[in-house]
Order: sequence, then C-alpha cells, then structure tokens
Amino acid sequence: MTVSTDAPAAASVSTPATRLRSLGWIARRVGGGVFVLWAVATVIFFALRLIPGDPVDAVLGGPGSQASAEAVAQIRADYGLDQPLIVQYFLAMGKLAVADFGTSYALKVAVAPYVLTQLWSTLVLTLASLVVAWFGALALTLATSGRGRVARALGSGLELLAAAVPHFWLASLLIILLSNTLHWLPPISVPGPLGLVLPVLTLALPLTGFLGQVMRESLANAYEQPFVLSARARGESEWGVRLRHVLRHAALPGISLSGWAFGSLLSGAVVVETIFARPGLGRTLLSAVTIRDIPVVTAVALLSALTFIIVTIATDVVDRIVDPRVTEVAAR
Amino acid sequence: MNVPRILLLPLSIAASAALLAGCTATTEPAAEPVDGGTLVYATGDAEPGCLDPHVGGNYPQGLISTQYLESLVSKNSDGDIIPWLATDWTESEDGLTWDFTLRDDVNFTDGTPFDAEAVKANIEHLKDPDTASSTGYLAVGKIDGIEAVAADQVRFTLSAPDSALLESFSQPWVSIQSPTALERDQATNCESPVGTGPFIVTDWVKQQSVTLERNEDYNSAPADAEHTGAARLDAIEWRFIPDAATRYAALQSGDVDVIDNAQPNNISSAADVATIEELDAPRPGAANRIELNSGKAPFDDIRVREAFIRSVDVNPGIDSLFFGTAERSYSVLSSVEGAGISTPDVFATDAEAAKTLLDEAGWDTIDSDGYRTKDGERLSLTFPISTNQSIPAEQSLFEQIQASAKDVGFEVILQPTDLSSWYGALFTNEYNLVSAPYTKVGADVLRILYHSDSIIPAPSGYYANLAQLSDPALDEILTTASETSDAAERQELYAEAQSIIVDGFYVLPLYDQQNHYLYSTSVEGFRALPPVAAPTFYDAWLSN
Amino acid sequence: MTEILAGRLSQPAGRAPGIRGRGGWLRNTGVIIALAVLALILTAALAPQLITTADPDAVAPAEAFQSPSAAHFFGTDESGRDVYTRVVFGAGNSLLIGIAATAVGLGLALILGLLGGLGSRLGDFVSTRIVEVMFALPGLLLALVFIAIAGPGVVTSTVAVGLSTAPGYARIIRSHLRSVRSASYVEAATVLGHSRARIVWQHILPGALSPIFVLGTLGVGQAIVWASSLGFLGLGVAPPAAEWGAMLSSGRTYIDVAWWLTVFPGLAIVATAASFTVLGRALNARTRQEARG
Repeated sequence: MTVSTDAPAAASVSTPATRLRSLGWIARRVGGGVFVLWAVATVIFFALRLIPGDPVDAVLGGPGSQASAEAVAQIRADYGLDQPLIVQYFLAMGKLAVADFGTSYALKVAVAPYVLTQLWSTLVLTLASLVVAWFGALALTLATSGRGRVARALGSGLELLAAAVPHFWLASLLIILLSNTLHWLPPISVPGPLGLVLPVLTLALPLTGFLGQVMRESLANAYEQPFVLSARARGESEWGVRLRHVLRHAALPGISLSGWAFGSLLSGAVVVETIFARPGLGRTLLSAVTIRDIPVVTAVALLSALTFIIVTIATDVVDRIVDPRVTEVAAR
Repeated sequence: MNVPRILLLPLSIAASAALLAGCTATTEPAAEPVDGGTLVYATGDAEPGCLDPHVGGNYPQGLISTQYLESLVSKNSDGDIIPWLATDWTESEDGLTWDFTLRDDVNFTDGTPFDAEAVKANIEHLKDPDTASSTGYLAVGKIDGIEAVAADQVRFTLSAPDSALLESFSQPWVSIQSPTALERDQATNCESPVGTGPFIVTDWVKQQSVTLERNEDYNSAPADAEHTGAARLDAIEWRFIPDAATRYAALQSGDVDVIDNAQPNNISSAADVATIEELDAPRPGAANRIELNSGKAPFDDIRVREAFIRSVDVNPGIDSLFFGTAERSYSVLSSVEGAGISTPDVFATDAEAAKTLLDEAGWDTIDSDGYRTKDGERLSLTFPISTNQSIPAEQSLFEQIQASAKDVGFEVILQPTDLSSWYGALFTNEYNLVSAPYTKVGADVLRILYHSDSIIPAPSGYYANLAQLSDPALDEILTTASETSDAAERQELYAEAQSIIVDGFYVLPLYDQQNHYLYSTSVEGFRALPPVAAPTFYDAWLSN
Repeated sequence: MTEILAGRLSQPAGRAPGIRGRGGWLRNTGVIIALAVLALILTAALAPQLITTADPDAVAPAEAFQSPSAAHFFGTDESGRDVYTRVVFGAGNSLLIGIAATAVGLGLALILGLLGGLGSRLGDFVSTRIVEVMFALPGLLLALVFIAIAGPGVVTSTVAVGLSTAPGYARIIRSHLRSVRSASYVEAATVLGHSRARIVWQHILPGALSPIFVLGTLGVGQAIVWASSLGFLGLGVAPPAAEWGAMLSSGRTYIDVAWWLTVFPGLAIVATAASFTVLGRALNARTRQEARG
C-alpha cells in the first residue's frame, strides 16, 4: 500500500540523521510558544483596557463603592494606575517576563500562587474528562462499528446527540438523574473522587460524541485496508482484528485532537465549575472578567495559553512517535 | 425533586403557599442542645474579595463576618437597639458628643483585650484611605474625634448630630476587630480578620470555602442570644455555591445543611419536604423597587412617571413568579423598618388614566409598532438589569412589566448585563428605569437614596439617588430627621418624606429585599441576626 | 468544534473508498431525517405564522407554569407565555445567531487562510501566528472579554461566537489551500505558463472554497450550542426575544417544578445541531467522492 502520500512528515522519523532536525523542530515550537505568550499578554492587556469601567472599582470591592477621593487616589498610586498607558504596558510586560503576575485587585493576594492552585483543580477536571471521553469514544466505536446496521445507527446516533447537548443543560439533567433521583452522587463538588464524577461526566459526554464521530470514520477506513482483509483471511477472530489492527487507526485522531479538545474543555470548565461549585480556572476567569480584576484575567489567559501550547507540542511529539502508518510499514 | 411531583405542580403551588405562611414562624419545641459537629453553610452571594468587612463593605462580607466579628450594639427582633460590645451609651444635649461604656471582660481571639483604644483604632481604620472603606466609611462619616477616656469609656465627637449613629454601629461593616491584627498588611487581614465573635477564621480555600472554628473563650453574646459561653458547633464550613439550582440540590442530598438566597420555586418545593425548613428574614433599609429617573426625559415630567406607574400591574406576576413567597410592597422602606408607610392607593393600576396622562403630556401619537411618540420621538425607556443582583424571578417580572407597559404605549428596553456594565450604565445616566437594592439599618436610608446630595457622584462615579430626585423641601426634611433624636418627631419627618417621594411617582415598590434561608431540620437554634438579617450560628446545634 | 469533524477536508482524498456502499442505508435515512428537521426549522424561522397563530410575547401571569396540554402543546412558561409558540419563533433568532456567527468565523478565517495559503512567506508567517494566538486563548475567554468590551446583545454574542470559532476554520482553509496549490492540475496550469492571478482565480479558489460550504453547515449547529452557553452566563439576547439558548437557561431555574421549560428548547437545539452535523458530513463525503472523480 502507499502510505507516503498523506504522511509526508512521518517518513523521516526513524532515521538517525533526522534526530537533529527533530531537535530543531522542538526548538522552533518552543520559540513559537514564547511568541504566542507575548502576543496573548499584549492582546489581553489592551483588550482589558477597552472594557468600560475603572479598574479601581475592582480594588474597592465593586463599582458601587463610595470610598473617599483620598482612598481612590491611594489605590491608583499603589497599583500604578496613575501612569500613562504605554508605561503601564512596559512595566507589566517587564514583570511578566520574570513571571511576576502582580497582586489581584479584588483579592489583594499574589496572583501567581492563587491562579496556580486554580489551574491544578481545572487540570484534574479536564484531564480526567479527556481520558474518560477518549476511552468512552473508543469503546463506543469499537462496540458498534463494523457490526449490523442497527448497532451502527445506534452508535452514530448517540454520538450525534451527545455532541449537540449544551453543557449546562446536561449538568442539570445529570444532577436530577444521578443525584436527586437515584441518590448516587453528590450534586456539588466534594473532596475525593466521588465529587469529581458529575463534573467529569458533564464535560466528557459531548466530547465523547465528537471524538466518537472522528474515530468511527477512521475505523471505517481501517476496515477497508488490505492488512485487515489479510488478517481476516488468516482467520483471526473479529475482536482480534479490531484490537490488534483497527484500534490504532481509531486512536490516532484521538491523540492528535487532544490539543484541540483540551482547549474546548477549558471553555466548558467555566460552565461546569460554576454549576458544580468547583474551584478552578474557569470560575476564576468568569468572576475576574465580571469585576475587571485585570491581573487575574491576564494570568488566567497566559496560563491557559501556556497549557495549550504544552499540550499541543506534547500531542505532536506523541503523534510523531506512534504514527501507525510508519509502524505498519516497518512491520510488513 | 422527583418527576411525579412536577406533574402535580398547579396543586402544589397553592398548597405550599398556604403552608409557607405557617412554616416561617414555627420554632420546634427543641430537645436538649448538644455540642459538636460541623455545619455546612452554602451561600449564593458572591465570594468576598476580603473577609474584613471594613474593606469595601458589601453584603456578602456582612453575611460571613457576622460569624467572627461583633459590633458595639445590636438590634432585637422588635427593632430596638440592644447592648453588645458596648453596655451603655449617652448622647449629649446638643447631639454632638456620644459616650459609650464598653465591656471590660472581652478579649479578641488573638489575646488582645477589647477596650476603648481598640474601638478608636477601628474607627480610624475605617477612615484611613488605605483601607478603601465604603459602607463603613459612610456610616462613621459624621464622627470627627474619638477619645479613649478610660479603658472602658470611649467618646465620639460629631460634626453634626446623627440620629442614625446607633443603627450605623449595629451594622457588620462597622464591626470591631483586634487592633493588633489590623496592624498587619491588608492582604493578611483580609485572609484572617480577628474579632471577638463565636467563631474564628482558620482557613480560606478560594472559590471553595472558608473554615470557621469555635472560639472556646467566647463570652460576648448579644443580649438577645439564647445561651452564653462558647458556641455549640465545633465548626462551620462556609461554602460558595453560585448556582441556585445546585445549592438546593445540595441541600436535598444532605451535602449542605443551610442555604441562603433560596429561589422562590425551591422554597415552594421545599414546603412539601419534611426534612427542610424555611427562614424568611427580609433585609432592612429600602424595599426592592424600581426607580424612575427623573433627571432626564421623559421621566422629568411627573405625568409620564404617573402614567408608567398606572400602566403596570405587578401583582399577578409577583404571585405566580414568587410562588407566594414574596408579598407586594407599597412602601419605599423595608417592612422591618418601623418608619415605613404603605400606600397601596398611590400605586393603583389604571391603564385608561395612564393613557389620558400621556395624551396630556404630549405623547399623543402612536407609531406603527404601537408605541407612543412625541415630536417624532418614541416613548422609549431603557432599563439596565444587573443579572448578578436580580434573581431570575425578578428578571421575569421585569419582562412582564415590559409587556404591560407596551399596552399603554411605553417601549421598555431591557438590558441584562453584568454588574460592572450595569453600574457603567448608571454612572453615564443611560437609564430611565433601574432596580438597585440598598441595605442599611434604619429609615435614614431615605436620606442616602433621595437627598439631592446623593446625586453628586462619589469619586468612583457611584451615586445612590438613582431616581435623581432633587427637591429642596425633601432635603430639608431628611437632614432634619437625621439630626433629630426624638423618636416620635423623627417618625413624623420620615412619614412626610415618604409621601413626597411616592406622591411624586419617583418609585415603584415591588417587595422586600428577599432573604430566604432553607435549612435541614437537623439544624436547631439557627436565626438571622436582626440588624442586617445575616445568619448567626452562635446558638445553633445539629440534632443528629 | 467543527474543525475536528471537518479535519479530513484538508487531506487530499486518498483513502476511505467505501463510504458509498457501506452504511448507505444509514446515511441516507440519516440525511433524510436531517433534511426534514431542517426544513421544519427553516419554515419556523422564515414563516412562524404558518406553524402557530399565537403571539410569542403574550404575557399571562395567571396561566404561568401550565404543563403541556391540548391548549399549550409544550406548556406555558413562568410568565404564562406559550412555550410551543416561543420555540417556533425562537427558531429564527437561534438560526440567525448560528448562521451569522458561522459566517463571521468563516469570513475571518477566509482572510487569514487566504493570507496564509496563498500569500507570500511573510503573509503565511503572520497569519499562522495570529491563528496560533487565537487558538491559545480559550474560546470562552475570547467571548467573555469581547462581550465585556462591547456589551451583551445578539450582535455581540454572534460576533463573540464567530471570533472563537475563526482560528479552527482558518487552519483548515489554509492547509486546504496549500494542498490544492500543489495539486496536479494546478501544477499543470503552471507548466502551461498561465499567469499567477489566473491560476489563483481559475484553479485554486474554486477548489478551495468548496469546503467552506461544508464547514459552514457543520459549524451552524455548534454555533447555536455555543451561543446557548453564553445565554447561561447571562450574556445572551435581550428579553423578551424568544431564543432557544435563552429559553433553556431561564427554564433551568424552574427545572424542579416545570420540566417542559427546558426539555423543548433543549430538544430543539440538539435536533438542529445534530441535523446540521449529519448534513455537513454527508456534503463532506460527497465532495470527497467528487474530488476523487
């Protein structure tokens, strides 16, 4: 079979001479990442200044404050808000360059440790959802593809529906079913794995639908491949064929899409964290935008950009390592 | 909530409304209180940015700080001022000097003794620009000098008589903290303020919860408490659960014991649940009301204001949207304010009268969409709504107002926005209608909301007089009332002030500021502390 | 989310020979159902009066929270409005948001994609970086900040959703353009000595623009789901306009007493989004078959 047409990059992986090229590739990716971070910081800095309202309000605990003129002037001086905008920008960039995220306007605490603890909580949620969605989609497609029409229709139908349900509605339905009616799970996030189940399900189900649709298509393609036919001809069992040969094909898009999926999960986290009262980056972001807590919004934007960059690079690396088209060529 | 009950809805609304009336007032014939246990409280109010209510000073801070900070005085359920950290007080003849006698046996939880110097340090803290206090700063605005006469004697000198001083002192935003703790930097004091209260702040996991542990040495309960000595609960876990539906689900599942900001439909459902009880504690100050901005057209014309009030009938909406949990108010003031005067006649609905008034005011042509016009301009009203402050039922009520005003020819443009944008619209005078809650202890809230001085924006841009009511006669009455210490005389002045406000059609009162708690029947001895109706768990205990 | 479904658009058709034979029944039935659903929704959007005679904004507090009945097929809402009528009238707003948001996203993506796919090296560099930056900002962050700047409303929500979907589309369009540029017929045209402008105009653009229709079809459904999330955060359309996302999020408040307030608009969203997906994928498969010859 011809594999090189749609995998030009993959052909060069295993030769030793290309190892240097791989290092160069990684260096370029890292350099690109740094650029992206700077650009994100700049965009966010100016975008947040366009939002109507005075940042001083956030320090005063909300815009309804009737604090004295002295208090307002004091805050402006303390937070450097009395400087010209361009000076503020360079000061902010200088600080960000040495990872100084400043002090939260609303919470008066250092932003970095605060946002990092929130990031951890969101990472647990999104990574767990990613894993659940990934295996859920794999199981669903493996179980229903290549079977009879009914099974296929059922599988595709479930995927379609799952992918079309808004998170906040799904969350309510899950709470009613699993918490209020069956009393299996707490409706709020509590310490321990039990409190993680509903938030993870809410985030993972729509994603399962998406990944499932993609995996189903690549599975269908895999079934047509000569090596599957020959395996069948050799008399391998149906499940043997599925697990040994077809699985890899189905898994590949799942891996390369993980970077994208992660980004969409971060967006979904805003809704899920609010509903299940779970700490995390999404809720932090929502409240920080609402009260114009600029340092916190900036830090959240940078952290999620950084996470996104790392996940993307990581999935690209994994993609290069496990690309089955290459391994299959080698195996035959 | 299980499915069958949903199907029974039309019946259960009526039934629960009837049940509620009885349910709010009942107190169980309690068994012997037991000590111990951790109570989980779930609040729907925003997570405070700072646990020290001197900084800024909003309602969420008042709610939580009531558990660990105490004030000089309190109020009992009859609305009388009662001793707390201060045992006695006297006002001089000219009203310019107040002497307070303080308790001499109370310590802050960091060991610092509570005394006159501590009180002085707190008032100075409120006045310090670095603190950036708003609510507390306003409350002590007339205090010019503080003198620690003796360890248990403090004297305040005022710039003008202040009949609201005691009420101001009862508010959590003027509570007394350890002067030693106040000397720490603001970030630290925000994380762990130190007071004399029954509980101590021990941990704060942001976006999640604050842990409050029992103060074993507590001895300063307010005069109306049920017991003395330390609190009965070991600890309180104060959780932040912003979503109302989740909050109620968590109460049903037993994951939390008490919730605040209970939604009307949940209160109604809970009436059928044997294990859940309700506490209705309206907030003091102003009632929830819609202000008509008289500072610009078309509401600068009293006929148009009256036409608007005549055109909207809010009663059927309040009945159905609030499931019988809210009672229509015809007063600018909260029902807990003794000075409040209810005038249903002023707010009577009459669409025909409204149309006549609009004709008289020159809005006598009707455009193709059915709205009235004058000189080619449509009779259009902008109504910004804060989605952070107006609950869903209230937002729906505003939609109904929009619909009934349309029948008379008003175009009401609803603009739901987040809090910052909402204030932005107010500061730039881009509104004709607005509903803004205002909590303050006592009828003096009228001066804050309707004195023409309150149209002048604070440095942040905020102003409280959103009706932009500017009437020298009213100013005079409100100022006099705030300087009159004779209760009966003051009552009369406030009555006069309210009639000017309602007869000028500046306000459409809706209902009290709703403040409903739902709690598990296993929680005993829980009540709201009268000054601002914040919950207090000093007497509370868990029965299982 | 469209990008993952349309991800394979970027690859020159090569594999997947069996789409036509296998699963034909399923695909056809699916497509027929999807078309039927979309026809119904389109009718509701363009001529709601054909399906209902009632007024979607007619308030009747006394009739609030009535469960589905012969008089009110889908029950009534908290203000006594007929939910069926509001779902019908909501189709217009929801569809408009979905289509307009997708158009905004695709339009922006087309500019970036053309710059990257056809422009100079510098153009490609610049557009790739812009797309990377947009990608790195979570869509909802972008939307929240944009709405905070411009103020909430239909237009803002639409643009916000469009903005957050643009980078995904841009990436697909760019790589598709690149693969078309290196396709054999374009190379042949180059060998024949045709001018660059003529090659771009006659050969590259038609080939490149064909997936936009597919992308758009796939995107509309997701844009509707997206916009409903903004409604949940209180940033949707202005009341009393009937819009599915807004209905769903306001009905959520009463989910314990009136299930019909969420179920019907929720089903409308799910059915619409799923139908657009089915249709988009069918179009995608056809395009690929045609591309193969």
